[in-house]
Amino acid sequence: MIEINATMIAQVLNFLILAAILRALAYKPVARLLQQRSDSIKNSIEKAEADKKAAEKTLEQYKLQLAEAHKKAQDIVDKAEITARQEREALVAETKREIDKMKQTAQEEIQNERNRAFEQMKSEIVTLSLAAAEKIVAKNLGTKENDKLVSDFIANLDKDMLEDVK
Amino acid sequence: MEHIGVRETVNFMGLTFNVETICMTWLAMFIVIVVAGLAVRSLKVIPTGWQNFIEIVVVWLQGQINNMMGRRGKMFEPFIVSLFLFLLTSNLLGLIPFMASPTNDLNTTLGLALLVVCMVHFFGLYFKGTHYIAHFFQPFAPFVVINMIEEIAKPITLAFRLFGNILAGEILIIVLLHLIPIWMPIPSVVWLAFSIFISCVHAVIFTMLSMAYLGNAVKE
Repeated sequence: MIEINATMIAQVLNFLILAAILRALAYKPVARLLQQRSDSIKNSIEKAEADKKAAEKTLEQYKLQLAEAHKKAQDIVDKAEITARQEREALVAETKREIDKMKQTAQEEIQNERNRAFEQMKSEIVTLSLAAAEKIVAKNLGTKENDKLVSDFIANLDKDMLEDVK
Repeated sequence: MEHIGVRETVNFMGLTFNVETICMTWLAMFIVIVVAGLAVRSLKVIPTGWQNFIEIVVVWLQGQINNMMGRRGKMFEPFIVSLFLFLLTSNLLGLIPFMASPTNDLNTTLGLALLVVCMVHFFGLYFKGTHYIAHFFQPFAPFVVINMIEEIAKPITLAFRLFGNILAGEILIIVLLHLIPIWMPIPSVVWLAFSIFISCVHAVIFTMLSMAYLGNAVKE
């Protein structure tokens, strides 16, 4: 049952042949493929690391730029607000001034109108009074007396009427 | 029953050969080569089919070799991979009806064990020179006797462990089929499943021990 014979030598040779065939047929290509794969995985990981680092750097830059831009925008807004306020104030002041001017002009005009109206009225009153007086004293009075009467009337009129109007 | 262990022999050029063992060895070699050929027929970066199997075996053994044998182990990788694939196929072959494992013959296992041990000593001397011889006299000179016994025991244990397990598995399959009627197949099936497990385990053990012995000899 247990017998050592030349089979042993044959088996060793068989195995060595098998090992040689397998080495050429399978082991070498598989080992090469595995090496390639591990290389490519290593490269991918390295590349991914580098990409990640670059991306982080870019992100950092972007954040910085964004912050700067925010600051700039805030500055611009602030400046614009200040300018707007100043302009508004200037405008308000200008408007006030104009209004004042217009008011003054209007008052002056009113004054002028009133003066003119008063002058007109005065002369009309004189004329009317004269007409009335003429009618009343037409027959009685001579020209001399008449003139004196008119002068007195006007003097009185000036004193009283002007007091009233003013 | 009486045919168990009886081997047909032929005489060729004055040498005796066990016909069945040789034929089954060739069959196992053929299967291994076909599987390997299928695996590497279209190697792809993303593996499919048999390429997965070969890659699993190669990657696993590469890892083990790297751990056990260090940098010089790389040159033994094809040998170790071939050894594992051949032993796995041989052990499983005997579980198919009308087939026999090449490894149920002591000639096969002892041949492989002696090959491994010869390689151990050859590469030990090649890489380490006199240091390799000196290590047999460690820790002091009289230990050479114990060390020699150990060195001789290595191929014997390696060969008989595999031979005994595989032959016992095949014998028990036949015995169970004779002992238990055909309508009660559970014990046979259970034993067959266990034999598959044993076949794989012993292929691994033989390969691992070979690696360990070679590692001792070649590791810096």
